[in-house]
Amino acid sequence: MNIETATLLSNEPAYEGARIAWLHAPGVSANVQPGQFVMVHCSHDGLDPMFARAFSYYRVDGDRFAILYNVVGKGTGWLAERGRGDQVRVYGPLGNGLRLPDQAGNLLLIGGGVGIAPLVDTAERAIAAGHQVVAMMGARTAAHLLPASAWPKEVEYVVVTEDGSARPKGFVTEHLGQYQEWASRVYACGPSAMFESLANVLRQNGRRQRPEILMEENMPCGWGMCYGCAIFTKHGVRLCCKDGPRFNLFDVF
Amino acid sequence: MPPRLEVDLAPSHKRGLALRNPVMPASGTFSWGLEFAKQFGVEGLGAVVSKGVTWEPRAGNRQPRVAETPAGMLNSIGLQNIGINAVIDEMAPAWAKWDVPVIVNIAGDTVDEFGRMAALLDGVPGIAALELNISCPNVDQGGIEIGQSAEASARATRAAVRNTDLPVIVKLTPNVTDPVGLALAVEEAGANAICAINTVLGMAIDTKRRRPVLPRARGGLSGPAIKPIALRIVYDVANAVRIPVIGCGGISTGLDAVEFLMAGASAVQVGTATFANPRAPLDVVDELTAWLEREGVADVNEIIGCARPAAVAG
Repeated sequence: MNIETATLLSNEPAYEGARIAWLHAPGVSANVQPGQFVMVHCSHDGLDPMFARAFSYYRVDGDRFAILYNVVGKGTGWLAERGRGDQVRVYGPLGNGLRLPDQAGNLLLIGGGVGIAPLVDTAERAIAAGHQVVAMMGARTAAHLLPASAWPKEVEYVVVTEDGSARPKGFVTEHLGQYQEWASRVYACGPSAMFESLANVLRQNGRRQRPEILMEENMPCGWGMCYGCAIFTKHGVRLCCKDGPRFNLFDVF
Repeated sequence: MPPRLEVDLAPSHKRGLALRNPVMPASGTFSWGLEFAKQFGVEGLGAVVSKGVTWEPRAGNRQPRVAETPAGMLNSIGLQNIGINAVIDEMAPAWAKWDVPVIVNIAGDTVDEFGRMAALLDGVPGIAALELNISCPNVDQGGIEIGQSAEASARATRAAVRNTDLPVIVKLTPNVTDPVGLALAVEEAGANAICAINTVLGMAIDTKRRRPVLPRARGGLSGPAIKPIALRIVYDVANAVRIPVIGCGGISTGLDAVEFLMAGASAVQVGTATFANPRAPLDVVDELTAWLEREGVADVNEIIGCARPAAVAG
């Protein structure tokens, strides 16, 4: 973990309700594993809100990193109003990242909503390592989708929307189709309901892909001090920040 | 000359509890200290205080466990911990290698259990003192039930003191009408020091769900929001007892620490601040040292209690 003051390089809308911020922070951008997260302070005085917010690394490039975030509350609302040159306190990288296979494989990345964020960085690394990548994103409507241009061109990008404004219609886990057989490994990040349904679908093929998931829980501290982010797994209680955020899907769902 | 920072938190005890500086983490905000040791080292702290340990391991409460409030947080963790045997087998050996005293916070379900836990931890290498948690608001048994009665608090203190050669600190709840009465009762029962305060009972409501945010409705409020309450109780308690008082509640900066020392605390605990700033306890040490230097105070003991009524009148 490094603690530093980051300088905001850009902070632009990504899709409806979400933004992408690039931050210059050499220490927090170094030695990042895909799926790790960074804590970003989201207030002027550190009092309201007091705690930093946890964000997945959306992309990492040398001495800078990007986050993709939904503007949902006081903290992210404050962050959305920051602009180029503004400074924010950050610390990271934190948590256990995804483990990509050593040998070239077919990787299926599944993101629900803003859970797509860590999978873009994961896809970039996977492509560089010689893997084939299909990325699927489920969103409420077409306006809530990450644009195809966000992905490396080698990635096959499949979208699903709940209202059918981009086809197919439904939940992403209902449309795994041919990709389920194709994939040698599955990585997913999204809400609990998505993980539950993914577990049900993948159970039918004998859990072959050993799916790894990135979980989210409210994390006041981010490094195992407060015990706020407990996740109840089949093997006992774990802390999302310190023991995760990577879990084996079938250990939890 | 850098200022002298050493304090003794148990002058009434045969071994004492000497700290190289008066700053330590608060129980439950530092896990078992291993993460901090790996990240920053613990030797810059006056002491380490463990998470509350119970007789049996506990999984803790379900989610949500935390609600953020302006300048504070409500928690309802529910004493998630690995149990006393795992603390002895897995944590104490690591603590024994550190050059810093480790205070183990114990949370008994009953008065009797405080005695049994104290006996079990007695003589374990790596443990320098015990802090009795008679004030956790987030569990059904023990904790705050004992801590709200002066008589039960005294019995728990006596049970611990009789069963250990370690110094015993008793951590008080603020959720009573007469914290001074509690403090006098545990002092009389043999406590070597008092820690004040544990969290303040509070709650938050989720207006969308029209339900309390926390599953047990109430939670323990901590952070800068409770600092004035903690300071008042420390001031009142330190003025009444002869044993040292450790101040705890909303301390985030060196200047916060100075306030508590002036109110009569012999040392301070930094808690919730560590969740916002991972280095907080070390920053408080640095800022306190800088303040003493700037003010020309040669020994931190010179300012302890300087704002108390007797000192002010004198």
